[in-house]
Amino acid sequence: MRIQLFGTCLVDTFFPETGEATARLLRHFGVEVTYPPGQTCCGKPSDSGGYTKETRKAAEHFISVFEGDDPILIPSGSCASMVKNHYPELFKDDDRMREKAEAVAARTYELSQFLVHVLKAHEAGLAGKGRITYHASCQLTRELGVREEPLLLLRSVRGAEFVPLPDAERCCGFGGIFMAKLPEVSYAMAEEKADKIISTGADTVTGCDHGCLMNIADALRKRGSSIKVKHLAAVLAEGLR
Amino acid sequence: MRTSSEQIPFRANAVQALDDPALRATLRNITEIFTQKRADAVSSLPFEEWRDQASALRLHVLDNLEDYIGRFAGNATRAGATIYRAKEAAAAREIVASILKDRGATKVVKSKSMVSEEIHLNDYLESQGIEAVETDLGEYINQLAREAPSHIIVPAIHKNRRQIGELFAEKLGADYTEDPTALTKIAREILRQEFLSAQAGITGANFAVAESGSIVLFTNEGNGRMVTTLPPLHIAVLSIEKVIPSLTDLPLFIRLLPRSATGQILTSYMSVITGTRKPGEFTGAQELHIVLVDNGRSRVLAGAYREMLKCIKCGACLNACPIYRVVGGHTYGATYPGPMGVVLTTLLDGMERAHPLLDATTLCGACAEVCPVKVPLVQLLRGLREERVEKGLTPWVERKGMIGFGWVAKWPLLFHLGQIAGRVFWPIAKRIAGDKILGRMPDFASRPFRRRIS
Amino acid sequence: MTRGEIIELFIQNAAKAGAEVQVVKDQEGLSRVALEILKGRGSIFCPNMTQREKALSLPADRCTQAYASASLCIEEVLGAVAETGSLVLSSQAGKPVQAGLLPGHHVAILPAEKIYQNLDDLFGQYGHSPPTNITLETGPSRTADIELTLTLGVHGPGRLSIIVV
Repeated sequence: MRIQLFGTCLVDTFFPETGEATARLLRHFGVEVTYPPGQTCCGKPSDSGGYTKETRKAAEHFISVFEGDDPILIPSGSCASMVKNHYPELFKDDDRMREKAEAVAARTYELSQFLVHVLKAHEAGLAGKGRITYHASCQLTRELGVREEPLLLLRSVRGAEFVPLPDAERCCGFGGIFMAKLPEVSYAMAEEKADKIISTGADTVTGCDHGCLMNIADALRKRGSSIKVKHLAAVLAEGLR
Repeated sequence: MRTSSEQIPFRANAVQALDDPALRATLRNITEIFTQKRADAVSSLPFEEWRDQASALRLHVLDNLEDYIGRFAGNATRAGATIYRAKEAAAAREIVASILKDRGATKVVKSKSMVSEEIHLNDYLESQGIEAVETDLGEYINQLAREAPSHIIVPAIHKNRRQIGELFAEKLGADYTEDPTALTKIAREILRQEFLSAQAGITGANFAVAESGSIVLFTNEGNGRMVTTLPPLHIAVLSIEKVIPSLTDLPLFIRLLPRSATGQILTSYMSVITGTRKPGEFTGAQELHIVLVDNGRSRVLAGAYREMLKCIKCGACLNACPIYRVVGGHTYGATYPGPMGVVLTTLLDGMERAHPLLDATTLCGACAEVCPVKVPLVQLLRGLREERVEKGLTPWVERKGMIGFGWVAKWPLLFHLGQIAGRVFWPIAKRIAGDKILGRMPDFASRPFRRRIS
Repeated sequence: MTRGEIIELFIQNAAKAGAEVQVVKDQEGLSRVALEILKGRGSIFCPNMTQREKALSLPADRCTQAYASASLCIEEVLGAVAETGSLVLSSQAGKPVQAGLLPGHHVAILPAEKIYQNLDDLFGQYGHSPPTNITLETGPSRTADIELTLTLGVHGPGRLSIIVV
């Protein structure tokens, strides 16, 4: 099986280790990982601000880069939702582009979706470590409906202890453009999330979205916490070398 | 608080609110409690089914609103009420004032009405020499403190018992106490006298029933019942979209509204009032005047955001909103706070004044999940943000930045160059721009992922 | 649901809402329980309109027609709704609905056969011309406006007793 990996702009720029972990994980299951060159950003930043023209530019580029029939894998709930739920809408007045968008959307998976439903990775006895809690990001849960998959995967990790996070689905305050427009409010929300994470006694917090994780990491650091912040891919790939 | 064309300073208000640890603790507490109570109240019930039914019914009413309003007016008149339609807030205020002045009423008792806040009725009546005494405990507290409500259901929740104790001691000459039971008793005694001596009562209404011409009031305290059965004159002020078709539709909303608002199965009291006192009855006002307020809603109804008018003002979205939870109601600088407040205020007050409110969402969707009538809040917020951009109301720097983003997303070469520039200039930019935004972000990776994947 | 189940459900839900509920079998039981509740409660208002109200044998020296200043109101109500644990009061048949609102203690006599199973059954009977006032009373008057602390007896009665007959 072959897939096309969309790293996401955050992973490419700030968190390449998550991309590496994702590739390692997929290859472990015998998946051939291709990385279409020229990929940039899914367009979520401009989309969250209401800038449709710019978002269409990003979407058109994405669609042209990810030609073909292979499944598209995205280690991000918000980017995967952008492609699956918002791309077709973006082109509602352009039949040709909309059809292409719909085709791309239909082939796109958020990482944990693919791991559970296609690779059955939650039955593979992956090894890991630590006392891990999980933040359930907004678009992943409420737009994509991905709630059980990350939990199934985390609970299956041998050697790691899973601790549920109270109010796991409450927004952490990232919100894309929101963090830049209302930074004080964003930080207050991140603090609330950090306090809930600290209260679990976990040594690691994980999630499927780097926007959230970045926001949470900053709040944890400012709280003086040494809790590690890792993407789900990194947690699952822990035992693989 | 409200100046007609000044933009709402949401961010400045938020910074102030965030700096108040007592307020933050209160907000955290009440939103947790209401959220839990609601969750308990809706478990093991066909709540999703009810939401779907209610959404469909509300949409049906909106699709036929003029017709339903006409039927309501006809049937309410038949039952003895006098109906008025007020297009603008000023007209509504004047109607209420003139009814009162005609009968020489100088003091009225009021049961909570959000739309009466929206049209600034109390201030206007005061200017006309008519005192309107709020009787809902939270609104009474706010009235004494000359503050606006900060939550639809518990309007004075931003005040703690100490502050209320001091307020009562100062304004009412009461002995200082901070015990809620004692404070409530003080208010009960004072307001009891007001109920018994008032010449008129003003209420809102949660619903208006078209086929019977009835209005429906939910209260926990009993003030709604007092205001509508003790004074001889009752004026009800309500916004036009509150109509439901018939009494047989009421049970659905009785099942949805209290559970969504406070997690109760039903409020302590719910009254269905149909017209004036009939011969042989000993309950009911002698005169009932119903003022139907438009204040921009017909315009909204004709537009793309009409589904906002399905709202039944339960407050569930406020309790669910992670932003409301940290900044509270006053930050929104408007009659209605929280997610529904952001949308409704932008629609009624206009984009020019209200657009900063559109920043106040991460589009997380928690609000839409709990809305009993499935108002598509996330879609409405997204649409309004797009409109805001089209109208050129976003900051100049942001617009330029987004245009730049568009090019960077379209041209890989620009994207790569951007990463190189970022690696070089980011530390400097962070130091200049300060802690609040860039300072919260990590450093650029030494080698981007695309160059590591083989 | 059977009549017995409806009554059970009503009692459960009314109690959840903070009402005190008792069940009696006949007028004798009713008078007995009523007098128990009335002990030491000060002045009483009773509309004295229905058979059951008239047969209560209330202490005449404590009765008053001024419900606004009475400590307690005892009256037969029109019905109830099991689904929500609510009493149904209405202005039809010349009842002063506000009489149960003003005193600090409301005692309601509820004929068991008048308990509706659910809200649909209640509202289905009115057609398009309901009486001027229909009120559902679910537990005592309450507020949580001060720091979300529950306080009973804000404007309406702080105590609601229901005697199911």
